[in-house]
Amino acid sequence: MARKGGMRGDARRNAMFVAPMALLAVLLVALPLIYVLGTSLVQTGEDFSLGATFTLDNYKRLLRADYLQVFLNSLQLALLTTLVSLLIGYPFGYCMARAGRRWKALLMMLVIIPFWTSALVRIYGWKILLQANGPINAVLRGLGLIDKNIKFLGSYGSVLLAMVYCMISMMILPCHSAVDKMDFTLVEAARDLGSRPWRAFLDVTLPLTMPGILAGCVLVFVPSVGIFYLSDIMGGGLVLVGNLIRDQLLKVRDWNTGSAMSMVLILITAGVYLVYRKSGGDDLGVF
Amino acid sequence: MKKLFAVLLALAMLSACAVAETVNQKDEPVLNIFTWEGYIDYSTVIQPFEEETGIKVNYATFASNEEMYEKLSAVNGGDYDIVLASDYMLNTTREAGLMQKLDKSIVTNYGNLDETFLGQYFDPDNEYVFPYVSGGPLIIYNPDEVSVDIKGMKDLLDPSLADSVGLIDDARVTVGLTLRSLGYSMNTTDEAQLAEAAAMLEALKPNLHILEYENLHNFLLSGDISVAYTFTPFVALALEANPDLKIVYPEEGLGFGVDGCFIPVNAPHAKNANLFIEYMLRPEVGATITQWQYYCCTNVPAREILGDWYYGNAVFTGLIDRLDDIEFIKNLPIADEQKFQDIWTTFKLSL
Repeated sequence: MARKGGMRGDARRNAMFVAPMALLAVLLVALPLIYVLGTSLVQTGEDFSLGATFTLDNYKRLLRADYLQVFLNSLQLALLTTLVSLLIGYPFGYCMARAGRRWKALLMMLVIIPFWTSALVRIYGWKILLQANGPINAVLRGLGLIDKNIKFLGSYGSVLLAMVYCMISMMILPCHSAVDKMDFTLVEAARDLGSRPWRAFLDVTLPLTMPGILAGCVLVFVPSVGIFYLSDIMGGGLVLVGNLIRDQLLKVRDWNTGSAMSMVLILITAGVYLVYRKSGGDDLGVF
Repeated sequence: MKKLFAVLLALAMLSACAVAETVNQKDEPVLNIFTWEGYIDYSTVIQPFEEETGIKVNYATFASNEEMYEKLSAVNGGDYDIVLASDYMLNTTREAGLMQKLDKSIVTNYGNLDETFLGQYFDPDNEYVFPYVSGGPLIIYNPDEVSVDIKGMKDLLDPSLADSVGLIDDARVTVGLTLRSLGYSMNTTDEAQLAEAAAMLEALKPNLHILEYENLHNFLLSGDISVAYTFTPFVALALEANPDLKIVYPEEGLGFGVDGCFIPVNAPHAKNANLFIEYMLRPEVGATITQWQYYCCTNVPAREILGDWYYGNAVFTGLIDRLDDIEFIKNLPIADEQKFQDIWTTFKLSL
């Protein structure tokens, strides 16, 4: 009897701790999402007030070749961002995990410190470096490699650079943590049994660090689908899903279509996460 | 758990009381401004007003005219005392009955305003709006890198400008310019005319290097583009940084805009709002505003104070010479706005 009472007390205490979080989650996440969902399913009048008539027209309106192209643009940019981040981030994370203590601390600082500055400020820094009469062109000209300034800004490459730069720490940290936790005696065993280094890497290290790689890919890919301001700042002029949603809300004033687009974007990212979890992915508590 | 709810409930009631209090105390020395971030400077304009009158100014911001309208109609024209927004939305707001008339017994210096900006469609009888600043996008180019003599939008098609033009990333503004250069209205909804504009944009593609909204002057100064079509303050800023740049008032016609202040119909501190408008209309304050915002000055005696700085700058004065040639971009029904957006999206996707 006493035991039971004690358990009920625990449950109540737990509820006390969970309640504020649950309340916040409902207020700040669930309610706005329900509002977006609701807005996407009705037709608004000219006076910005929400009408009550239920309709699926807002979603039907999305079935257009050029909107499909916009979604593909976003997915392509996110995919390329993830790939480049992986190609640079994995070796970086690997070296960081295998480095001596002092090097490790230094490398970790290099990854963490940029977090302390606004991404916007750092991207404007890149803009100055890359501009036509900027330092990079000056160096190239000084070395006699080019006669005419290269217009880096506005190119797809400059957008990709900005994306990778902003997202790569999300790849490095989980990769580093996977390599760090790995039992390297297994690699030694493989080597002792006659395996060449790259073979040991492919057969032992890579499979064992795969959870980190997958987590990193999800952490980079999912936000990348929605980011559009980097393309705007670099002058890329790309039409990404984010641009499309912003223009529907702020320029056309069509909140219903904008909400429908947002719901589709949310579904896509949720889908990626679900596939990741179904295929055995960890929850993303990677740090 | 109960305690938590009690605390929350108490907090909610407190905030409700606070709201009720502000509505009731019409005479309290407070002024609530609602506009874009940084559009009325604090240290040079608002702070001196606070010191002079003892009125505490609160500054709330919105990101777009549409957001302003939505919030203002949600509170039925209350909560805010001064709203500063763009011409087309001023018109919508006035037609919705969300404005109250200025008290000309307090705003005695309304006559300082240049008549050019008065009697406009958003306030035909000059009862509601104080035109704060005005301007229109212009073409600006670097003559060192451009061999054609640019006079208007059509010259931007010249093959020598390959990959060196920057345009404003906005459907209404840039499709509007294209329409004007074809001799049509910026507000046309005629399918055939819009299709012609889309075709002209298509022809411009090889020359286009950057699409951006508010940084084209920097791309011009950094040498990434040689020609930009951009808004008044950015043209003025670019010219200040590099006086050798040339500005062009597109010969085919100009886009034009006025941003103006009004007092919402249920403003809690309407008297303070009128006092603030009187204050902003003073010549010396008007001069300060122009020096900060880099737009055309609507206040005649303020221009006299600015003297050469203002009259010597073709960005500001040239617009006045062309006022017979201007066109406001007006609010269109959502379906028509969508047409402009579609042309723009298709164009950008094909880049």
